[in-house]
Formats: sequence, structure tokens, C-alpha cells
Amino acid sequence: MFGLSFLSPWYLLGALAVAVPIALHLFRRRTETVVDFPAVRLLVKSPVEQRRRRRLRELVLLALRVSALVLLAVAFARPYVAGRMLAADTPVTVVAVDTSFSLSNADVFARARARAEEAVRRAPPAHAVALVAFDETASTIVEPTTDRGAAVAAVGGLAPGASGTRYLAALARAVEIIGARAGRVTIVSDFQQGGWEGAAHASLPDDIELELVSVDGPLQNVAVLSIERREGRVVAGVHNFGLEPRAVPVSLSVDGRVVETLRLDLAAQSAAHVAFEAVVPASGTASIALEDAGGYAADDVRYLVLDPAPAARIAVVVADPSALRGGLYVERALGAADEGREFSVTVVDGRALSAWNASEMARHQALVVLGTRTLERGGRELIAGFLASGGSMLLALGPDVDPGTLPDVLGEAPAVGPDARSLDGGAATLVVGDTRHPVFRPFTQPTAALGDVSFQRFRPIEERGRTVLARFAGGAAALLEQMRPQGRLLFFTSDLDNQWNRFPLSPAFVPFIVETARYLTDGSRARTSWVLPATPSGLPPTPGVFTIDGTSGAAPGGGRRVAVNVDTRESNPAPMSREAFLEHVPRVPRSVTADPEADARKAEGEQRLWQLGLLVMFLALAGEALVGRRAS
Amino acid sequence: MAGQARYLDPAIVARLGTIDLKARTIVEGFLTGLHRSPFKGFSVEFAEYRQYLPGDDLATLDWKIYARSDRHVVKKFEEETNLECHILLDVSRSMGYGSPGVTKLQYASYLAGALAYLMNRQRDAVGLLTFDERIRDLLPCSARPGHLKSVLLALERVTLGAKTDVARPLGDLVQGIRKRGLVVLVSDLLDEPEPVIEGLKHFRYRGTDVIVFQVLDRDELEFPFDRAARFRDVETDDEVVAVPGAVREAYQARINELIAHYRTVLGQNGIDYCLLNTSQPLEVGLLSYLQTRKKAF
Repeated sequence: MFGLSFLSPWYLLGALAVAVPIALHLFRRRTETVVDFPAVRLLVKSPVEQRRRRRLRELVLLALRVSALVLLAVAFARPYVAGRMLAADTPVTVVAVDTSFSLSNADVFARARARAEEAVRRAPPAHAVALVAFDETASTIVEPTTDRGAAVAAVGGLAPGASGTRYLAALARAVEIIGARAGRVTIVSDFQQGGWEGAAHASLPDDIELELVSVDGPLQNVAVLSIERREGRVVAGVHNFGLEPRAVPVSLSVDGRVVETLRLDLAAQSAAHVAFEAVVPASGTASIALEDAGGYAADDVRYLVLDPAPAARIAVVVADPSALRGGLYVERALGAADEGREFSVTVVDGRALSAWNASEMARHQALVVLGTRTLERGGRELIAGFLASGGSMLLALGPDVDPGTLPDVLGEAPAVGPDARSLDGGAATLVVGDTRHPVFRPFTQPTAALGDVSFQRFRPIEERGRTVLARFAGGAAALLEQMRPQGRLLFFTSDLDNQWNRFPLSPAFVPFIVETARYLTDGSRARTSWVLPATPSGLPPTPGVFTIDGTSGAAPGGGRRVAVNVDTRESNPAPMSREAFLEHVPRVPRSVTADPEADARKAEGEQRLWQLGLLVMFLALAGEALVGRRAS
Repeated sequence: MAGQARYLDPAIVARLGTIDLKARTIVEGFLTGLHRSPFKGFSVEFAEYRQYLPGDDLATLDWKIYARSDRHVVKKFEEETNLECHILLDVSRSMGYGSPGVTKLQYASYLAGALAYLMNRQRDAVGLLTFDERIRDLLPCSARPGHLKSVLLALERVTLGAKTDVARPLGDLVQGIRKRGLVVLVSDLLDEPEPVIEGLKHFRYRGTDVIVFQVLDRDELEFPFDRAARFRDVETDDEVVAVPGAVREAYQARINELIAHYRTVLGQNGIDYCLLNTSQPLEVGLLSYLQTRKKAF
């Protein structure tokens, strides 16, 4: 049971190749030149290799060569230790422990550990036990094992992190571990409602028992939900998630020094914005901290980098800048983002753009093209080159766009109708097709619906090869995205310049344009704020202000400062009932059947003994080369 | 001179017929080449016939004259000595070694035959003793003309023996020598030198002149091998695997040290020593012998 097994045992036949070096060894011994010589007595005391020593060396060489061949054959046979793999019919109890920051209170997490240890010990005797730690993601801490002492010891090593809770991740990992076996999943958590994202659910095979072990956490919590700079001052959003009013002191710190403290009275389950009077510097770091003894510590502070982020450069291409419609609305909308610091907008008409060179064009992260009528050939090719090199563009197919120029502009024929059409019924609203798309991030709440805007005219466009993100109420495509290897290309089939519709005058216009611009420039701009568990590469998953890459930043030493904050979706301590939790876990018939071969493949893939075999083989060959060189 | 010298080339001598012919060719070629040598005029010349008298050795009867004239006459020579010359020929297995052309034993046999021929021609009594680790064959010294044939026949039939032990036959022989004489040792001397030297010293103590010919092959002197090989001792079958390039220098140092030791210690004891390379003409050995003989008289 605990022996070495092989995925491809037939490759072991390759080990028969050891006959080759053995035969060569023997053959060579027989044919070695023997010279009869009378004065051997005079050779004996010379620095020569004695026969016994040479024979020993030859044996070592032979052993090394045989070992190398055997190891090669073994490596190809894909070995694995079957003993480390449970039998296919061994049931497994997966104990999944919540390590999100809602359990970060020491007493609370000690209780969670105690519950987890108890769950390990309480698992049915026939079960193997696996340990999973989960927050936003799930990690297997202990693979299924019958050594419960090891599992209990591993529970003792768990520690809460700074991320939120995602039950989906825990259940998915548990189901993956159990596989085709019978099993049980024990979840040790405070069971916050926020652990489920909306209507998310995790299917669980109907023969897997689900046990929920609740750890009582705090029922009240005050959290800093947001921090931002407005007109030189810092504004924070604070939320009382408790059922009782709270009065908490809130402090503003700049570069680690407290500069202002306010006392904030919060009604039960209410939020408030805190505007500090202190003017913060143009660069540095700021943080908002509140005192919330009974709540979660991780969300009591939030960080902000004051360093000016380089604005994303966007060129708005119009047909005639002197006209009233010359990109005014788009320019103003983009200027509203982060008080004008997020985007640097250049409005340029087709003729002027045609005089640009490629390097001037390359300084822009994105283009918003509202008109192409005045674009000369050079300008069209410039835009086409910009797109080909990975640039992003929003093309609004309004009245100033000449469809005949588009093949040159896009580098391909976009199949746009030559004439504008009126929407059915004279007007139509916009219907978002994919609310998860980043462009529509502000419109997930009903109060900010795009459906209030009415559009009159549009240009039909071929949908094939493009993703329709939004349609007009009549079904015509309104916003499309064309997949590209690099960069992003969006088509808006109506006007963004207040000619064919009144969209620029609606409240949805600014967020739409800003989010679209952010989407177009995403990836080409340096982020200054991150929300866990996402962090810049190389940073630990903990909140704070960190200095990262580069030597051309505002931070001392030349790096670039970024703020990493917790995900405030975890801040709501509202628990959910067992029944509510189970509603998110529909039971499904088991679709996975036992597959010993798959288990063997998995075990082999995890152990990767073939790599060790190859490594030892290379060492044997190196040793053979060394010994062989000395013998020659 | 060159024409005669070629007959002293061991490789050519080896292709000649019997050892009798070989010895004759060597010596005649050698003596012919001596016209301008310091040994000019030195030879054993026929002097006269005289009437046979009772008591004369029947071997000295000239049977051809008797057949022609029915008279009994004996031959008289100018020089008649009572020098006893003992040729000690090493026939141990190591003497069978030889690079292509001639083995050490062949070379030594030719040399011994030539010496016997020369000695017999000079009316010296010549004897032959072959040995390896013990005495294999012994022909007592005699100056009779027919004795030469016995010596040459013995040389013709010589075969390789076993291991070398030079000291032992030397010890056996030294007890049997009572007259003033000459001992010629022909061997490769690949033996422990001290017992050999001690054995030879005893001859000197008894007033016997000794000349030692150490016959070695070019391979033994130069160790010219170029590929790693297992070198097997021809007498003991001991094997040593060696990379010639790595051991050549040390080997040459040791063989030269052995030669130098023989040369020095033997010289200090009044024993002539001559190193013979089997690729050298036999003339070298004959010259050494004559020098020693001249010294003896």
C-alpha cells in the first residue's frame, strides 16, 4: 500500500537498457590491451593505477551508468508513492476554517481554532481528514490524511488574514478534495452574509454531508469604508454596521502624524461622510482611523496615497473643434474625474491630428473618436498604427463620422451602415447586456440606470466578431467591444456630442464616459490603490502603504507609493442563518465517479518524483563524467 | 665496413640459418671490420703441422691430411691459452621479450654464440651455462674445436625457462671454477640487483674476470607505449594498468637508476658492465669482450 507505483509502468522496460553498459563493461574488460612486459616490477612503484583500484573504479562507473539508465526509465514511468494517496473509497472529512479578518479578534479566532480541532477529532473514524483555510480564496493546508494529530497541529498554525470571506471558494476546494469519495464538509466560520456574493451558490453533491460550525463574532462593527481627497481635503465614509448607535473618534493622519480628530455619532446601521478640515499636502500618505473596540480591527483604518497619479492622456478626435459640438461634453465629463487629475484631455480636429507624428500619438493612452470627416490619410493611418500597436479607442458613430474613412482608420472594414437610422418608435432607451462589464460598474444600482436616456438615431454595425455590451430597446446594438490582441476597441453606434440624442445631458453620461475612459486606459495607468486580496506583485496581503517599483516616483527613494486596503464587504458582521446558508448550497446528484487512474495521475502530478529521478540521473551522469575522466 | 656491419645487425643475423652460421658471420664480419681497430693483428692464427705423438689429443689430428697422405699429423696454433671462459646465459622467461625483430634471448644467444666462436678461434676454453632460477644446462669449458659445435648446438636448442634468479646459479658455478678464467654473464638483470652483485663479487674474489652484458629491449629502456594498457609481468603474471604518458618518466627514472646502479657498483668491484640494446649491432658486445680479454692478458 505504501510502495512506489507507476503511472506508465511499461517504461520500466527501458531499464533493460542497463544490459548495454554491463555488456560494454564486460566486453571492454575482455578486450583491454594486455601487454606482456618484463619490467613490470619497475612500474609497480610508479604513480600508476593499481588493478584493484581500477577495478573498483570501473565498478563505480558501471554502477553510475546503470543508475542513470534505471533512473531515466523510472522517471519516464512516472513514479508516485501510493502510500501518500488515499484509497479511492476512503471517505474524507474536509474541515474548512474561515481565516477572514472578521475573525481577526484573538479570542474569536482562538474559538475558531478550538472548533476546528474539535471537528477534526470528531470526524468519523473511517474518514481521512483534510484541512482547508479560506478567506477570498481557499488553500489546502493538509491533504486528506489519517494522521489526525497532524491535522490538529496544522489547525494550531492557522492565523487570520486581512481578506474577506468567500464560501464559494471553500466549498469548491472541499468538493475538489473529496472528489469521488464519500465525505463531509465542516465549515468553521462566523457565517457573515457577505460571504456570499449576491445570488452566488455552490453546488454540493447530495451524498456529501455539510456541517456548519458557527463561531460567534462581534455583532457590531464600525468601519471606514472609503477615503478620498476632495478639493485638498480628505473625506472618509464611515459605516456603523451595529444595531445600536455608536459614537466613535475618527482621526486623520498625514504621513503617519495625526492632524485632526473628530468625534462621529452614528445611528444604528447607518453611514456618514466625514469631511476633515485639515488641508492635506499634494503628496504623501493619509489614513483615516477610528476607535472601534468591539468590532473588526482590520477595517478601522484606511489608507490613501496623496501623490499625484500621472493623468492618463486621452485625445478626443472631432471633425471641427470650432463647432459647438466639438467634443465639449466628452472633454468636460473626463475633466470631472478625480477633480481633473485622472485624465489629461486633448481635443483635436482631424486636420491637426493628421499633422501629428507617431511618437506624439503614442503619448496618449486612448482615443475617443467623435468625427472622422476631416481626417486626412496621414491621420487615418496614424490612428490605425496607434491601434495596431496596442492603443485603445472609443469610436462614436455619430454624424461627424464618415463611414468611408473607417477602413483606413481601423485598418479593417468595420461593416458600418452608410446612413444613420432612426430607432423604432422614434426613440429608444439603452439596455445593458452585461452588467459585469467594467464600463457599467456605476450602473449596477437602479438609481443610476442608463435606461432613463433616450436615443433617436444610430448607425447599424455588423455584430459578428464583436461583443454587444448594450443594445437599444429595439434590439439594435448600441455599445460593442471588438476583441483585440492588445488594447481595447469600443464602438458606440450613436452620438456622444448631443446631436442624435440627449445622452450628454443626462446624469449617466459622466460616469459612462469616465468608466469607459478608465476601461480604455486600464492597464496603461499606474494604480495607487488596491483592495485585498489583490495587491501589486511582491507585496504582502496586508493593509498599509507600500513603496513599489521604479525609481521615478514621488516616494522617498524614488519608488511609487500604493495604498492597500481591506475589502469592506467583509465589514458587515450580520450573520446568516443555517437555512439561509444552505439556500446557497443546492444539492446536486453526484456526477463524479471514482477514477483510480485520475487519482494516481493527481498524486503523481503533486509528488513529481520524476523530476527528482531526473535530477539524480543528471547527478549520476555528472559523477560518471568525473570518474570517467580520471580513468581515461 | 658498412657491408660487413650489416651482418652484425641483430635483425639480419636472426634471418640467417643455424647459429653456427650466425656466429661465424658475426665474428668474421666483426673481425673484418676490425682492420682499423685497436685490435688489428689480434687473432688466433694456425701455425704449423707436426707429427702425431702418442699422448696428443686425438681431436687435434688432421684427418683430411691423414686421408690424403696417410700420415698422422696434428695442428699447432700460435696462441694457445688455458683461459677458461664461462658464458652464463639467462634463459628466464623475461628474456623472451622483444620488440619486433629479435627477442632478448635471441640477441643474447647470438652474442653468446659469437663469443664462443671467437673464443674457440682463440683457443680459449669456452663453456656454456644456461639458467633461469636454476641451472638449466651446463657445458663445461673446453678448447677442443668440436666443443664449439656443442656450444652452438646448445644455444640453438635453448628454450625459455621460468623466473629469473641470477644469484643462485652464480653461487653454484663459483664453487666449480678452480682456474683463472673469465665469466661472461648475459642477462637482462631484471632481478634484485644486490644478490646478483654479491654473486659476481665472489668470482672477483677468486681472481676470475667478469664481464656482464645486460641485454634490454628498446621498450624496456624507453617505455614507448602510448595507450593505456594492462602490463603483465611475463614471469610473475602480476598486472599493472598504467597510462604510459603518466608513468613513462617515473619508469625511465627507475630503469636508468637500476642501470646506473649496476654500472657503478660493478665497476667499483672491477667487473666490466656493458648495456646492450637489442636494436644495437652485436659488435658492441664483442668489442666489450675483447677489451676485457685484453685487460686479462
